[in-house]
Amino acid sequence: MVEDTKCSCGSANVAIFPCVGASNVGQLSNKVAIELEKQNFGNLMCTVGIGARVPGLMKSAEASERIIAIDGCPVNCARKTLELAGFKVDRHIVISELGIKKNKDKNLKDNEISEALEKTLEILQSE
Amino acid sequence: MKIEILGTGCAKCKKTKEIIEKVLKETGVEAEVVKVEDVEKILNYGVMVTPAVVVDGDLKTVGKAPDEKEVRKWISQ
Repeated sequence: MVEDTKCSCGSANVAIFPCVGASNVGQLSNKVAIELEKQNFGNLMCTVGIGARVPGLMKSAEASERIIAIDGCPVNCARKTLELAGFKVDRHIVISELGIKKNKDKNLKDNEISEALEKTLEILQSE
Repeated sequence: MKIEILGTGCAKCKKTKEIIEKVLKETGVEAEVVKVEDVEKILNYGVMVTPAVVVDGDLKTVGKAPDEKEVRKWISQ
């Protein structure tokens, strides 16, 4: 859960949903999402809350102009969770497709965090 | 009836309160209007963007100020 709520006044309202899966790339999806929020790309939101159909999360996603799903691997749990709930995913990032191999090590390496973030930013800024 | 307005004090939050109070006045419906600015309470509703409106514990809208028609519908249910 993020530490703060965002007012929807003014700037474009973008929701960021990471998969937060049980692998290096799953955990990297969360790190990248947190950094994107810090850099004002959008609001980090709880993907499991969408799976649970929590009304506040569902309505927060509905209120977002754009939705970014960040998956660790091609199983695409975040994107599928959102789509099953009826949401259109505007941008989909898959961390393992950014040159980082999936493994079960949850001790994330700083260089992998930087690499994943840098490549994600390149993709998002190229739009 | 209890109407909670979730938000930390932005322009849309203030507008939301104004609209709700206007409709209550026009319709004569009595309700307790509470402004919730505590972030923990807001997050406990799963709300990630404000303003949001909760009527008798039921989350009605998130991320925008409602229009008068919506408010009339909520308070007549």
